[in-house]
Amino acid sequence: MLLQINFKSGLPIYLQIVEQVKAAAASGAIKPGEALPSIRSLAEELRVNRNTVAKAYSELESQGVIETLPGRGCILKENQSTLRKEVRRKLLAEEIDQAIVQAHHLQVPRDEFLKLIHERLDALDGKRRAHEGPKED
Amino acid sequence: MDSPVPVVQIENLSYAYGRAEAVHDLSITVRPGRCYGLFGRNGAGKTTTMKCLLNLLRPQRGQVRIFGLEPAKHEVEVKRSLSYVPDQVAFYPWMSVRETLDYLASFRANWNRKDERELLDRFGLDATQRTGSLSKGQRTQVALVAAVCPETDLLVLDEPTSGLDPIVRREFIEAVIGAYQQGIPGHRTILVSTHLITEFEGLIDEFTIIDRGREVLTLDADKARERYQKIRARFAEPPPEIDLTAALRVRREGRELELVVNGGGAELMERLRQHNPQTLSTESLTLEEIFVATLKVG
Repeated sequence: MLLQINFKSGLPIYLQIVEQVKAAAASGAIKPGEALPSIRSLAEELRVNRNTVAKAYSELESQGVIETLPGRGCILKENQSTLRKEVRRKLLAEEIDQAIVQAHHLQVPRDEFLKLIHERLDALDGKRRAHEGPKED
Repeated sequence: MDSPVPVVQIENLSYAYGRAEAVHDLSITVRPGRCYGLFGRNGAGKTTTMKCLLNLLRPQRGQVRIFGLEPAKHEVEVKRSLSYVPDQVAFYPWMSVRETLDYLASFRANWNRKDERELLDRFGLDATQRTGSLSKGQRTQVALVAAVCPETDLLVLDEPTSGLDPIVRREFIEAVIGAYQQGIPGHRTILVSTHLITEFEGLIDEFTIIDRGREVLTLDADKARERYQKIRARFAEPPPEIDLTAALRVRREGRELELVVNGGGAELMERLRQHNPQTLSTESLTLEEIFVATLKVG
């Protein structure tokens, strides 16, 4: 899992870390039970404030993505959201709404938009398979 | 939220060398655990401000407080609670690195030997070498070792990386993050003055830009990058008259338009969108770009 901070994205640095860890988990670049880099080493590597990394990790912990185990550091949890199904659907719907608004402004019609969603899901599946590939069969 | 005693509090500070005013009515508050940047061009008043904090200069107007104490009245307590890396590092040239660190450690109640060993290793410093034969970069590294080992709650860095090569600069910042920022979260505060902003970008929580001794802008770093944006648009035809008074800066080049905004980016994007641009994009300004944009306009 390699993270990259982009100061031009306009997104707070801790949120960039949160989103990239979640993306890495979704694509299988980091697997449940595996440890995230320590706060110190990630902060040094990205050359960002340790408090920023700590804030990102505590956000990930409160979202149920990672857990802190004594002696082992921060571990990626099995993908099981603690939120109720309706809440999860509502949160996702908000994100999809934003993409729909963007699609409207970029003049991407409905069919093409749906096709693109399929393509993106396939691409993520492909990445996940690639990460699973080298492991023992 | 409760408001603990600020680590550094500067209130309406003014200082003049003869008739030349170096700092005018400057106020800065640094809260515990923050990494605070004081940005300014050469001669903007950064070092004068730092010297007032360290009791190397007496404020002529206004007040400075460190951990709630006036440096002039509580010199020992204040000096005990902070460490300092100056822009010009000077050691006794006949002393070895080892002797220099031991000498500096003798003034301190606490000295972390493990950190010292790790940092000397990390920088590849030879403890037996005389400080007189160290390069500028190595002298700064020794000064950083001496600033980290006492484990003070405040680290003051005055233009620490100017004049150093890019590799040494990176190592310096990594050592500040790795070695100084350890310990109880929220208990290690950093105040850094610099005009080399890019390197410190990821470290800075909050900053003040000063120019000719006066405060120009104080902002949270994340908020600053959210507010200051560069918007680019290209149209099929030369763009019609669009109300761009909200923009800090406007560049036109034929069918292209480039704007710098301080807030209100979304509204401006919407206004541009109504003219059906072929392309429309936005990106945040980095802290260094914000520094340049702010000083050019002001």
